[in-house]
Amino acid sequence: MQHAAATHALPEPQFAALVDALAADPARRDELNGLLREDHSLYDQRGAATVVRMRGWVLLALARAGVSDAALIFVLEELESGLDPYLVAAAARALRSYPSPSETFAPFVMRALTNIRYRDEPISFESYGEYAVAATGTSPVRELLATLAWLGPHAAGVLDEVRLLRKQGSGLPAKFRVDIDRAIQAIRGPERSDPPAAPACCGAPATVVERTSSLPPNERCSCAPIASTLLQDHDGATITFKEFFTGQPTIVAFFYTRCDNPLKCSLTVTKLARVQASLQAQGLAERIHTAAITYDPGFDLPERLRIYGKDRGVRLGAHHRMLRAVEDDDALREYFKLGVNFIESLVNRHRIEVYILDTQGRVAVSFERIHWDEQEVVARAVEVLNEGVPTEQTGQMFPALSDS
Amino acid sequence: MAKKLKTAKRTAKVSSRAAMSVAKNAGNTAKQRVAAIASAPLAVIENDKDLQAMLAVLVNADEPIEVRLAALQALQAASFSVVSFESARGDYVAALRKAATDPNKELRQRVLGILMRDKDGFAQKKLLDGLKDPGKALVPPEKALQLLSYDVHADAYEAAREIVKKPPNVVAKREALRLLAADTKAAPLFEKVLRDKKELRANRQIAASALHSIDPDKFQQYARKIVLDKSDFDDIRATSLVALQQFGDDEALGKDKALLKSVKGFSGGKTQAKYKQTAKQFLSRYKP
Repeated sequence: MQHAAATHALPEPQFAALVDALAADPARRDELNGLLREDHSLYDQRGAATVVRMRGWVLLALARAGVSDAALIFVLEELESGLDPYLVAAAARALRSYPSPSETFAPFVMRALTNIRYRDEPISFESYGEYAVAATGTSPVRELLATLAWLGPHAAGVLDEVRLLRKQGSGLPAKFRVDIDRAIQAIRGPERSDPPAAPACCGAPATVVERTSSLPPNERCSCAPIASTLLQDHDGATITFKEFFTGQPTIVAFFYTRCDNPLKCSLTVTKLARVQASLQAQGLAERIHTAAITYDPGFDLPERLRIYGKDRGVRLGAHHRMLRAVEDDDALREYFKLGVNFIESLVNRHRIEVYILDTQGRVAVSFERIHWDEQEVVARAVEVLNEGVPTEQTGQMFPALSDS
Repeated sequence: MAKKLKTAKRTAKVSSRAAMSVAKNAGNTAKQRVAAIASAPLAVIENDKDLQAMLAVLVNADEPIEVRLAALQALQAASFSVVSFESARGDYVAALRKAATDPNKELRQRVLGILMRDKDGFAQKKLLDGLKDPGKALVPPEKALQLLSYDVHADAYEAAREIVKKPPNVVAKREALRLLAADTKAAPLFEKVLRDKKELRANRQIAASALHSIDPDKFQQYARKIVLDKSDFDDIRATSLVALQQFGDDEALGKDKALLKSVKGFSGGKTQAKYKQTAKQFLSRYKP
């Protein structure tokens, strides 16, 4: 059998067969997780709609084979920031195959409902690449309501929100009434009149709670391979990676201006502006730099970068730049191991990703896939800033972060 | 006042209901039904039965095409009320996908347009399949390219390049060039089109604006050459002049004697009045 790693340019029907074979083979099921990585060669030079079909099929295979801890992050990512009806529906179905429901899943399901309800459409899971031409089957909203029912008492924390879905006028359409009632019934339990307290015993797996990964200084990779990579900023000025990213920690976000998912790039850059405001408020704007680097350097020319940043409140200056790689874009992608792939010159799919680089331009902390919290990013950047600085001195140099 | 408003609302509801009743009745003439739909286009979302009836009309090939097109128009108008239309959206998308392969060309074309504006994967696949295999084409290639260009992430560059190389007609080539204007790797193609004076002016205009978008520095070089070239078309020279004025280096332009002389010539003589105006604006800004 063909190995999943060697599937570049695989025709779609063969891809579907491979996914089915992996799902059916307990010894190889873990390979499905690798197929959900955006940078997999399999997604190279595919259109965005093709990538949707392919990833959707992998999620459905996981729904049959069972979602593991390692796969869970991909499912939750889709629920949190996905806007494609097919992928959201497939992710909702996949989540129900996780070994046990957890209260941490409920906000993801509710968020997906909010994101997708006005984009709901019929979905067919019957065969690979099939599009529904009748409204009799399932839909993302229907799958999400089924997932709420599966969560049962673990969704007690969102019961009030689920009840609101039943409200005439602002709730979901009447055709979902049965599904909503079923979800409410499952959350409340059969014999109870009041919602049960959220179970305290079933903490979510580490992959859910842990949205970040950190590396201690001695395990970080040197930035030498890309030290001389030339970048151009929002004003057209050029600077090497080493010049901008060494000497102080830097918070780096990736984005591209042609991203059509407002929950990804546009939100990321808007949040970066809030990070900058927080740094400024704490007197750290000179000590911790920020950068937003585009995935699409061919199109995102300085003027586009500047306008995109300004429109989202980004503070631009010598320490805070919107950047594009002038050359060696592949090396940059390799250094950060970016979760992105392309069709010709255009991004076909990417994840949310923000990094904190240490004073030597090495990746110290990563925030990937799930939305990051601005204050947490700032706090982690301060930790990186304080690395190697004695505690007493740290207290004097960088006063504790305020809650505001 | 409140009573009058209430009465007016009730009257409007009754007339909407009456309009829907006429529209649904196959015993009425097509003209009557079309007029009824047009008189109350949003009536379709007032109750589910009317909505389902209009969807049924849309997908029923036995219904008169003018009634089906009117139903489509009413449904499309109603779909703009995103919240009110929420309950109907699933059925609507399913009906559109069904109608996308209808025997009637105009209906197919309109439906595919609606679907592509929503970046529908089904429509995109059908259009791409048609470009690769004309036997499967639901619309002419120029229309397919135009609809595919609604989604910058569609996998259409390769098909568009093929059409530029071997265009089935001039419109298809123009649409292919338009689509490729979003491809940052297409700059050499646009340079070639822009340089080629035998190329259609519309295509050179597209090439000029595409090059300006994806490689503004390169376009600035060409823009100057074109403005200096008295034998080139007025509209192309005017476009280049505007690009220089808006995005060029002000200091360098002000010192460029050859350019200013050429623009002065362009501002008089046989140049069309509107282009003379463009040239005069340029001169008023840069003339020493």
